[in-house]
Amino acid sequence: MTKITKANTWVIIPGYNEAKYLANVLKKTIKITNNLIYVDDGSSDKSAQIAKHYTADVLRHEINLGKGAALKTGCDYAFSKKNAAAVIFMDSDDQHEPADIHKFYHAFKTHQMIFGERSLNHKMPLIRIIGNRLASVLILTLFGEYIPDIPSGYKGLSKKIYQQIKWSSADYAVELEIAAIVAKNKIPYLTVPIETIYHDLDRGMTFLDTIKMLSKIMSWRLTL
Amino acid sequence: MSIFQLGAILFALLMFYVVNIHRRKLRLSKIELGSWYSVWGLFIVVAIFPDSVKGIAQNLNFARTFDLLVVVALMILTTITITSFFIQRETNNKIEDLVRKIALDKSKNSK
Repeated sequence: MTKITKANTWVIIPGYNEAKYLANVLKKTIKITNNLIYVDDGSSDKSAQIAKHYTADVLRHEINLGKGAALKTGCDYAFSKKNAAAVIFMDSDDQHEPADIHKFYHAFKTHQMIFGERSLNHKMPLIRIIGNRLASVLILTLFGEYIPDIPSGYKGLSKKIYQQIKWSSADYAVELEIAAIVAKNKIPYLTVPIETIYHDLDRGMTFLDTIKMLSKIMSWRLTL
Repeated sequence: MSIFQLGAILFALLMFYVVNIHRRKLRLSKIELGSWYSVWGLFIVVAIFPDSVKGIAQNLNFARTFDLLVVVALMILTTITITSFFIQRETNNKIEDLVRKIALDKSKNSK
């Protein structure tokens, strides 16, 4: 297996209509690494044009498919075209601190699957904390493994792990599905502490997304 | 003839009209056309002569012909719904694969 280094690790940032925060996110990220892939998921704003100022590796979906599909596109590109040994997922809404990428580099020395874990403190809305814990407890109940902060999009995985866990979810359920597959197959993982950042206008998952995911998790229990 | 029978006949005639529109737009094959005309034709016959299926209803222990028709209709609707679900899911998967392939191919061409 190829040794995972900073040089062969690529950061994948999927985005949908994130023109407001994207420039800031990419500016901070390229200070850490030039191995940056932006996957525009059918945005109607200028996200893709903004991304091209910061990286040559910009991929674009013609229509919006969802976060899970965008991550798959980024991974396929990184592993097949860029000879990446590992990838790190980051969100494009400036709720991840790019400086935490170093923690993933360090974690890759010993593990191939890394979960970023935020501290569930006052910075996170209470309803999110409840949902966050519920997701972890559900995974523990159904798959026998406690994985903290599953909804966090800050994750790292090697090529080998990607081939093992290639998810089917095209939408936000990807976070839960990755955790479910890791738990079900007892894949060794490491958690790294990451910054908790929440904007006032948190557009992420909705309550309906949560309900959809909860129904999916029951079907994964049977099919994964 | 009751008002329900009249309503059923009018509904079937409306469906004949809908099938005809699709026929004129060349959206149906001969077999599909024949099948749909047969279905709605049979519907009209049963609506006018409900006693024609009384034997079947009694053999299946239905108190009324109407109950038999409702059960048959529900079975057809359930089949169509489940089939549509699987077709829709398959189409979603194909769209996703295609859009991702286009994105990857475009990135290759832009190098």
